[in-house]
Amino acid sequence: MITSARMLWTCHWSSRRIQRYLDAERGVPLSADEARRLEQHLAICEHCAALADEHRLLRRVLDNLSQRTAPAPDAVGRLHERLDRIIAEQSP
Amino acid sequence: MTDSESRAGDFKRHVEPEIEVLLRVARTLTGSWADAEDLVQETLVRAFRAIDRFDGRYPRAWLLTILRNTNANMHRRQRPDLFAGGDVPEGQRPAFGAAPPATVEDEALYGRLEAGLEAALRDLDPRFRQVVVLVDIDQLSYAEAARTLGVPVGTVMSRLHRARNRLRKALLVQPPEGSPS
Repeated sequence: MITSARMLWTCHWSSRRIQRYLDAERGVPLSADEARRLEQHLAICEHCAALADEHRLLRRVLDNLSQRTAPAPDAVGRLHERLDRIIAEQSP
Repeated sequence: MTDSESRAGDFKRHVEPEIEVLLRVARTLTGSWADAEDLVQETLVRAFRAIDRFDGRYPRAWLLTILRNTNANMHRRQRPDLFAGGDVPEGQRPAFGAAPPATVEDEALYGRLEAGLEAALRDLDPRFRQVVVLVDIDQLSYAEAARTLGVPVGTVMSRLHRARNRLRKALLVQPPEGSPS
């Protein structure tokens, strides 16, 4: 009983940290202790491991969407030209 | 080298690498690529005027703050439509873009998932959509997204957590391949 309650609590604790764990340097990284504890839990909990996999899949799909929705190179080029003009026009 | 040349050189060095991310974020804030380009142009002008007050650290964060303030001034009366798929009709891929998925199977899978994901993104509350687009599509850090929106990092984290959980659940209920949509 105590073991399963503890496991449930650890699942709750883990589910709140999986995204930060996967985001690593982009976000607010977990401490080394937290990361180690989460990794240990993911190794033995199928439910949380599946949750982490779902977040990894979501991340891959979002990454793919990010690549497809990159700005048009022409637009980026125009802004680089504009930057040069701003510097030329506004410099005394 | 004169002060003016040095100032211009510093500005270019700080700003040039950030132009693409500024354009992405501006697209997220304004809802259109044309407005985004105008917003970035105005941001560059204002940034150049303010370069003397910039300490040279965290140029992206500095530029994102100027972008946010410029957007607030330029589009005060417009409601942003954040990545609502406005210029990507449902079921179509945008004309621009980069690397396709690695294999035909990947392409089919991601294509199917992306269609569902874009619909799920459109269904999100704008405050949640905004955060997930800034972090996961525009590739900002939590801190940069917070600065862009003018909210605490904790707010970004909680909105992101909820938004991703909704998107994750939406991905799980994708119809099987070949089923009628």
